[in-house]
Amino acid sequence: MITNYNVTGMTCGHCVAAVTEEVSAIPGVSEVKVELAGPMQVESTAEVDFAAVVAAVKEAGDYEVALA
Amino acid sequence: MSTGGQGESTAALRTQVGNQVIELDVQGMTCASCAARIEKKLNKLDGVQASVNYATEKAHVVVPAQLGADDLILTVQAAGYDAALPTPEAPPRDRAAEIKRRLLVSAVLAIPVIAMAMVPPLQFPGWQWVSLLLATPVVTWAAWPFHRSALVNLRHGASTMDTLISLGTSAAYLWSVIALVFGSAGEIGMTHQWSFSLERDHHLSAIYFEAAVGIITFILLGRYIEARSRQDASSALRALAEVGAKSVTRLRDGVEVTVPIDKLAVGDEFVVRPGEKVATDGEVVSGDSAVDNSVITGEALPVEVRAGSTVVGASVNTTGRLVVRATAVGADTQLAQIARLVELAQTGKSRSQALADKISGVFVPTVITIALVTGIGWLLAGQGATFAVTAAVSVLIISCPCALGLATPTALLAGSLRGSQLGILIRGPEALEEAHRIDTIAMDKTGTITAGQMSLDSVVPTKGGDEAELLAVAATLESASEHPIARAVVAAHNGPLGELTGFANVPGRGVRALVDRRPAAAGNAALMADLGLAVPGELIAAADEAARRGASVLLVALDDRIVGLLTVADRIAPNAAAAVTRLRELGLRTVMVTGDNQAAAEYVAAQVGIDEVRAEVLPSDKFAVVTQLQADGTHHVAMIGDGVNDAAALSQADLGIAMGSGTDAAIAASDLTLMRHDLMLAADAVQLSRRTLNTIRGNLFWAFIYNVAAIPIAASGYLNPMFAGAAMAFSSVFVVTNSLRLRGFRPTSSVNEVASS
Repeated sequence: MITNYNVTGMTCGHCVAAVTEEVSAIPGVSEVKVELAGPMQVESTAEVDFAAVVAAVKEAGDYEVALA
Repeated sequence: MSTGGQGESTAALRTQVGNQVIELDVQGMTCASCAARIEKKLNKLDGVQASVNYATEKAHVVVPAQLGADDLILTVQAAGYDAALPTPEAPPRDRAAEIKRRLLVSAVLAIPVIAMAMVPPLQFPGWQWVSLLLATPVVTWAAWPFHRSALVNLRHGASTMDTLISLGTSAAYLWSVIALVFGSAGEIGMTHQWSFSLERDHHLSAIYFEAAVGIITFILLGRYIEARSRQDASSALRALAEVGAKSVTRLRDGVEVTVPIDKLAVGDEFVVRPGEKVATDGEVVSGDSAVDNSVITGEALPVEVRAGSTVVGASVNTTGRLVVRATAVGADTQLAQIARLVELAQTGKSRSQALADKISGVFVPTVITIALVTGIGWLLAGQGATFAVTAAVSVLIISCPCALGLATPTALLAGSLRGSQLGILIRGPEALEEAHRIDTIAMDKTGTITAGQMSLDSVVPTKGGDEAELLAVAATLESASEHPIARAVVAAHNGPLGELTGFANVPGRGVRALVDRRPAAAGNAALMADLGLAVPGELIAAADEAARRGASVLLVALDDRIVGLLTVADRIAPNAAAAVTRLRELGLRTVMVTGDNQAAAEYVAAQVGIDEVRAEVLPSDKFAVVTQLQADGTHHVAMIGDGVNDAAALSQADLGIAMGSGTDAAIAASDLTLMRHDLMLAADAVQLSRRTLNTIRGNLFWAFIYNVAAIPIAASGYLNPMFAGAAMAFSSVFVVTNSLRLRGFRPTSSVNEVASS
């Protein structure tokens, strides 16, 4: 299944890479697409706990994530 | 060192091994989030404490013993960046020496080439081949920096002065080689005709080696002058490092041990004897004294400290022994923060492009276009390929002005020399090019507008009292004290002192003694309150007024009665008001930046006519004030200061001006240094730099004009080596002469002096 999110606070390609890396590490997530402007598409085998996504994005840096 | 000391140092070593500090250079960070991310990754390692600075591209990491620099570097790399251990400060590359080598070789080889080309009697059979031999190393090796820079710029689609030099010399050299090999120029017995006759050359019969080697030699000479006058930016940081204490007397279990400063940890107690530097930032545990912060803040008046007061590392303890508990060490001290700000300001500073490069940026594409149009034009006109190419290449050859390389450095050299005669040391060429754009001048109060030394300001006896008598009593009392206020009072009294007995220092309050066997005291209101003496109403107003303008008040009691007060203040420098007026006449907005309170700052500002006051600025915030002034409608800001705490602001300013009486750190961080304590010199400096820049502009005009005038001749195919040589000689002479005129520069101040005397 695919879930869409919106990430704010990213300022460069490194931020995108960091968010991608951390969200990809969530168990069950198979693919993550992040754009600098904010949209993030997460493909997973089962529904991903939103709290886990928030934690992963926080781990990546000082960013905020919301369900799109 | 004693055995006890050895035990101490082993223990310190162990803690150091257990928890070592690693500094890393981090590469690839593009925004502040990157720094935050790396920091996070590093902190995730067991026991690691990291802080990453985006601006300085440095990571400061505390690591436990089991980890090493390699682990840190791997972690940073895993996060998508790169890190390396900082290379131990490489011996500063001696740019001047490097250029000197190329210049010497180039000059030795160029002189015969130019002589043979310009003086037909020297053109022995085969001279042109000898010229080729001599010119080759000059055009290839000596001019290599220009070619390299031209290539780098080409990749960015930009052209600078280097592009013009590279293009012109390559064209002249390659053309000459072709003429030698394929044309008639290679024939033994060929000579250059000493004539300016307009004769079109169809036979590839002339060579231009002398133009190529001449340009390179002249430009290298200019670069050498420039490199010699430039001081590298890291000297400010080195000077800052010199300010701090090197060793400290640590106090542990009642035992004093002298240890190197880096062995001191937060929480350690250390002793500061009178006259010593406070080793690091801390809090006073015991002792009373006055601490002289002037090295850090430039403030003349020492600050009274007692248990609980905070002291700043590198300040100087004046009178009493202090025991201080360290609250910050190493990179966390205020001094280290200033150093970081200086570093930040220096790396973030984008100097405006040199004028010669700006002109070249337009000139180069124009010349290339003219050359192409010339070539194509002659081809279309049916003049044949050889002629078309000759004309096109001639355009390229003539367009590189040899005097171009001299235009800026000779003016700067003449300007700098004149400056040093006037008492202004100019650090580098950028400073002068920058100074003309200055529209705002910010200045520190203490030590810049004021003399930076306490002196007697006023003597107010109570009704019926005598000024001289009051001063005599005060001077006698204070003659036994080393406090700067005391010294100011003693210095102001030039009569005999009374008899002083039973002297007692009351720390933080004042002094008591018997003067000619009468009980006397001098000090602040707290001292008088301790003695149970009431301040007469008539003095309260005077004391309040003095405090408002930032003067210190000294109450004097004799025979258990307050007989008057003295005020001591940092006096306004004699020339300050006139200098500020002149700065304003030069069209500059004047701003005073000071840590003093608003009222005291405004009092001084009003006295000298300053436009704007920024008071109560914390030492570390002067930097921010300069940034703010620059951002305010993109102004170009000069900053005048003298303290270590001014160093960051001086670096940040478009033009940093240090008072020569100031600290080494301030001088090293600045672009100009005023050799006398005279603000008038700042105005002279601004005027001189404007004049110098005008001279540079004029020089660039003279450098280009002959060559520009010769372009039509080249394009029409009439260029011969004699024309090229004449253009070169004329423009060089004009440029040098024009620069020398700066030696006669007179600032308005001295003109006025001459006029009035």
